[in-house]
Amino acid sequence: MLSTLHHPPRSLSRFLPSKSKTRSFHTKPILSSSHPIIEQPHASSTSPPQSQILSIRHSLLSRHVTATQLAESYLTRLKLTEPQLNSFLHLSNNVLKEAQAIDEKIRRNEDVGPLAGVLVGVKDNICTVGMPSTAGSKVLENYCPPFDATAVKRVKELGGIVVGKTNLDEFGMGSTTEASAFQVTANPWDVSRVPGGSSGGSAAAVSARQCVVSLGSDTGGSVRQPASFCGVVGLKPTYGRVSRFGLMAYASSLDVIGCFGSSVADAGILLNAVSGHDRLDATSSKQEVPDFTSQFVSATLLESKPLKGLRVGIIRETLDNGVDTGVKSAILGAVSHLEELGCTLSEVSLPSFSLGLPAYYILASSESSSNLSRYDGVRYGNQVVADELNALYEDSRAKGFGSEVKMRILMGTYALSAGYYDAYYKRAQQVRTLIQKSFKAALDENDILISPAAPSAAYKIGEKKNDPLAMYAGDIMTVNVNLAGLPALVLPCGFVEGGPAGLPVGLQMIGAAFDEEKLLKVGHIFEQTLQDCRFVPPLVADGFAQ
Amino acid sequence: MGSRGLLLLKGVAPPSNYIFNYTRTRSSSWSSKTPIFRECSTTTATTSSLEPPDVPRLAETARISLSPHEVDEFAPKIRQVIDWFGQLQAVDLNSVDPAIRADNETENLRDDSPETFENREAMIAAIPSYEEPYIKVPKVLNKE
Repeated sequence: MLSTLHHPPRSLSRFLPSKSKTRSFHTKPILSSSHPIIEQPHASSTSPPQSQILSIRHSLLSRHVTATQLAESYLTRLKLTEPQLNSFLHLSNNVLKEAQAIDEKIRRNEDVGPLAGVLVGVKDNICTVGMPSTAGSKVLENYCPPFDATAVKRVKELGGIVVGKTNLDEFGMGSTTEASAFQVTANPWDVSRVPGGSSGGSAAAVSARQCVVSLGSDTGGSVRQPASFCGVVGLKPTYGRVSRFGLMAYASSLDVIGCFGSSVADAGILLNAVSGHDRLDATSSKQEVPDFTSQFVSATLLESKPLKGLRVGIIRETLDNGVDTGVKSAILGAVSHLEELGCTLSEVSLPSFSLGLPAYYILASSESSSNLSRYDGVRYGNQVVADELNALYEDSRAKGFGSEVKMRILMGTYALSAGYYDAYYKRAQQVRTLIQKSFKAALDENDILISPAAPSAAYKIGEKKNDPLAMYAGDIMTVNVNLAGLPALVLPCGFVEGGPAGLPVGLQMIGAAFDEEKLLKVGHIFEQTLQDCRFVPPLVADGFAQ
Repeated sequence: MGSRGLLLLKGVAPPSNYIFNYTRTRSSSWSSKTPIFRECSTTTATTSSLEPPDVPRLAETARISLSPHEVDEFAPKIRQVIDWFGQLQAVDLNSVDPAIRADNETENLRDDSPETFENREAMIAAIPSYEEPYIKVPKVLNKE
């Protein structure tokens, strides 16, 4: 599906490191022909990603491959890459059984859902019945929820197979997965680097093709930043678009469940599956859900300048000092690409932008101090035996929570204490109003806003561990979107130097509330027409070489 | 503190009521724009009159027991972050309504009619200390 653009964007070559122009993949197939996989990672370096979900559906319905064969090939790759990546905290024992059930249905010519045979990873702070859900915390080690989160229930109803629970920073608090109580996930592009967080496991799993798509959660960037670090598509829906029932709450006014895919189309199809009002979530929106899957046009059918007339605003405050030169170059390359596609680009300034970071951390720590009070060792989770009730609470929590979680609870407790509420929490809510207004004004003048997803590409494991403010600073690009409750899509747009084959950089596109459709349309066209960039990490492309 | 962190701890500008819209010309250079993030010193000019965090007391309120080592480790970091929070004190927020959350939808509540949860066995199985039909906890000590 090569682009039909007559004038390939020459300017892109200025921004991409030269070694990325011809990515050389080994030509020998990764797996023998008895293990068919849909995607051929060693395909031409210029071909854009296909929707794996649609390919799988086509292959299953045409009887070209069975769900069991497909599941086996993914599981083989998963098991071979897991020792290096540690994306998963738990793996399902039922994958092949569920695949066989789908094969049975197909054999009997019964209808199967749009996600039939699709292996889905689920972040471990999202409840799955029959499988542990720990939120990455010792306090919930071995906890098995008695119910599925609504998003998981919907995935299963449509035929999706939950392959396992992915690693995360404890309770979603962190940007690297280093705050997981159990393991650190590695970035498939360079295993000495972080995959981002808190949904690092979900991002790494999709990046390494251990599963087709995955669910994560985004409170301050936890889907978008790992998507950028791992070179995959990450979609944060509008607050209220996807039910939060079964998502272990971190900050109730900010949390959303988000989607990862190796293509914009896959992220959109997964979003379609999980979106919609849920009576079990009072904050879930009754807004109609358009069919997000109906608009993924093949690039060969696009006219030149397919995005003509689209007004794109570049957020000035996100391309300033503090952002890596390499990231800026990649974003400017994306800007050129958007121009080639016919967009009208201008710069916008969002007043109060930089206030979002402290406001976010005040709101998030305050809400988390309240939400995490339920983990007291009494009704579920690990309990430390004690003679007296307060000691039971105090010791169970002390033993169960990691340092970052403890600190945030304490900060939140402080901000909500009598006498301090007005100074911190209320002021942060007022800042939230300012930020909502400034986004609304900018989106009245523009169809979408763009920025980097993070100020840098993936950094080394251990680099930011002891400096909370340095780690928080990395969230500057993403938190304001959560404060405003808007949808945002991150997709890989370029590379910076680092690791064996360069490190991916993601472009963030922000839309108006409930306008995921526009984001997906623009993202899809951008992705399908991007030249000379193929976002498959060497770990996958080179087979299973160490 | 990392240099990147310093640059983002800026003194705040009062919120402006208009946005800048430039048409980007090909020759414009991003780096020549005046940085929005102004430098500020680490001794914050926004010290509030509020008491600094008393970590042991906060831990008691939050029902988390901390070792003395943890108190020593956490206190400076917490203090640093709370100071950083203090920059919101300098912003003029009179006549700005607080936003509880993002959405503007009207109440979205379901009927208050009880339903029996169908997987009670799994819920009970998760309880650490259960003696049917009670969830067991140790005695409560009355603190003065």
